[in-house]
Amino acid sequence: MGLHIIVCIKSVVTKAPENGIVRSADTAELNPFDRPALEIAISMVEEQGGTVTVLSMGPPSCAFVLNESMAMGADRGTLLSDARLADSDTLATSTALAAAIKKLVPFDLVFFGTRTHDSDTGQVGPQTAVLLGTPLVTGVTSCEIKDNLLRVDRKIDGFREEYELSLPAALTIHPSAVKPRYIPLGGIEEAFNTKEINVLTLDDLEINVETVGNAGSPTRVISMTKVTRERSCEFLTGTTDEQAEELVARIKKSGLID
Amino acid sequence: MNTLLTEKNRAVRRSVRAFCEREIMPIAGEIDREARFPWEIVEMMGKLGYFGIQAPKNLGGAGMDTMSYVITIEEISRVCGSLGLCVTVHNSVAIYPILAFGTEEQKERWIPQLARGEKIGAFGLTEPNAGSDAAGIEATAIRNGDHFVVNANKAFVTNGGVADICLIFARTDPNAGRRGISVVVAERGTPGFVVGDVEDLCGMRSNPVSSIRLYDCKVPAENLIGKEGMGLQIGLMALDTGRIGIAAQAVGIAQAALEESARYANQRQQFGVSIGHHQSIQAMLADMATQVEAAQLMVYRAAILRDQGKSFSQASAMAKLYASEMSSKVTDMAVQIHGAYGYSKAYAVERYYRDARVTRIYEGTSEIHRMVIAKGVLSEYK
Repeated sequence: MGLHIIVCIKSVVTKAPENGIVRSADTAELNPFDRPALEIAISMVEEQGGTVTVLSMGPPSCAFVLNESMAMGADRGTLLSDARLADSDTLATSTALAAAIKKLVPFDLVFFGTRTHDSDTGQVGPQTAVLLGTPLVTGVTSCEIKDNLLRVDRKIDGFREEYELSLPAALTIHPSAVKPRYIPLGGIEEAFNTKEINVLTLDDLEINVETVGNAGSPTRVISMTKVTRERSCEFLTGTTDEQAEELVARIKKSGLID
Repeated sequence: MNTLLTEKNRAVRRSVRAFCEREIMPIAGEIDREARFPWEIVEMMGKLGYFGIQAPKNLGGAGMDTMSYVITIEEISRVCGSLGLCVTVHNSVAIYPILAFGTEEQKERWIPQLARGEKIGAFGLTEPNAGSDAAGIEATAIRNGDHFVVNANKAFVTNGGVADICLIFARTDPNAGRRGISVVVAERGTPGFVVGDVEDLCGMRSNPVSSIRLYDCKVPAENLIGKEGMGLQIGLMALDTGRIGIAAQAVGIAQAALEESARYANQRQQFGVSIGHHQSIQAMLADMATQVEAAQLMVYRAAILRDQGKSFSQASAMAKLYASEMSSKVTDMAVQIHGAYGYSKAYAVERYYRDARVTRIYEGTSEIHRMVIAKGVLSEYK
């Protein structure tokens, strides 16, 4: 039957919101941190056989990230889309994703990127794994399955850790793990012509609607504004030696060197 | 502009742009200076389907429509005109005639390797004494049993220095005038197939444009595409398709020139303000943006007509004429906006200026295009 790997992906906004966030192909993109997770999933299935399902939660305008992932090589896409999911924070998102993943059983692995390009919390992967009750390793740099056991490597704080996990398991994939492939034209043609996106709403899930969306979100984004960094340029004067000494003194004063 | 495109077309643009910006953009200036054909990039493009954009899937291609083809050419040309040229010529005038007029056997023999970029194709029509006057070619292919003996001197062959196969237009019946021209596929490595020196050109320098000469070259009779005497018809049909690609290439180069110019106009300070505040610069940017968009619309219209199976010959000729002339003007304005820096090889607009110039010459000069278009207009209102 082969492996079934579910990769959770997100469309992230690339343009700073002015009047609220509208995610579409012109203002958003597939989270770059999800690409290595997709790459590992697709190449594992290419080698061992099986299916890669991509799952994303968001409005219908986000479906393009699923198409893009299927063009890259994923076999099928599921979009969890429901107006009642609006304003979900990471806990509510994880709750909804876990409920959707339960609809995609049986699965062997669930992959996430380590974080997202836009909100950067890194919470959704671990929280979802907890809700699914699967073992979890974060920041994985390589993984392989042998005798129904998953062996993974993880590099953190200058240490390399090796783990052995039973399946099903969840992993967040470190961005340095692998260079994701470029999308081939033939893949785009295939994704749009022969692969379909399955759309789920909250009514398809076994879930208490009070646990997702605004009601299920203990945290709230109060405002979002663009940060502009002030930069200034100053020309030092004097002879070259004087300029060098002044420069060293300034760097010392800033605490960058002793 | 994006509103005209389908979600699939937009996915093509995003993915090709991502590849081009990451892999080609950093070396585009360098390969131009070194006049180097970047095999490492070509190999990657082959795996991504860029060499068989419209070839059917069962023959190793991506099986896409003309819109996706023009978007791909536009995006490659936006970062590197020479590679845009390599890909458009390979797809439109090398692969297309074999697909449209070749036998099943011929398609299976050549298309899969061409579509995967494992072999590079070229188109040999132009000769030292026959350019715009295609019917004036002097090459001969004389049937001798199971093969043709081909003698040809083909000039300015795009991809010539790296081509594995070249479509050679030659006279099979020297007494039949236009109807005596045929097209055969000549393969590199055949005795008598000689590749000349790479031309030292003004632009498109990383494309190895060269002459290809055939001296008593024995080309098997089964390499004839279509029937004897159909050569000119096949060539002109291939050029109808090719022109859409050249027009897309011209749009891509101009788009790059526009983007560079707008960025520069925002940064460059003169008289205490960025030069984008000056009306004369604004006027140039407005004209550039408007003309790029107009040309792009013409290219897309020609592509849509072709995808709908409608007559697109006039539309592609108009798109090629307008886009190539526009590209020359827009890249010229880009140099002007950049001032002395624009004339320096330190800035990319100098390369765009050189690359754009030839789009008015190859695959039919602007003058020939005006003749073709005028003929269509006159016959419409007869």
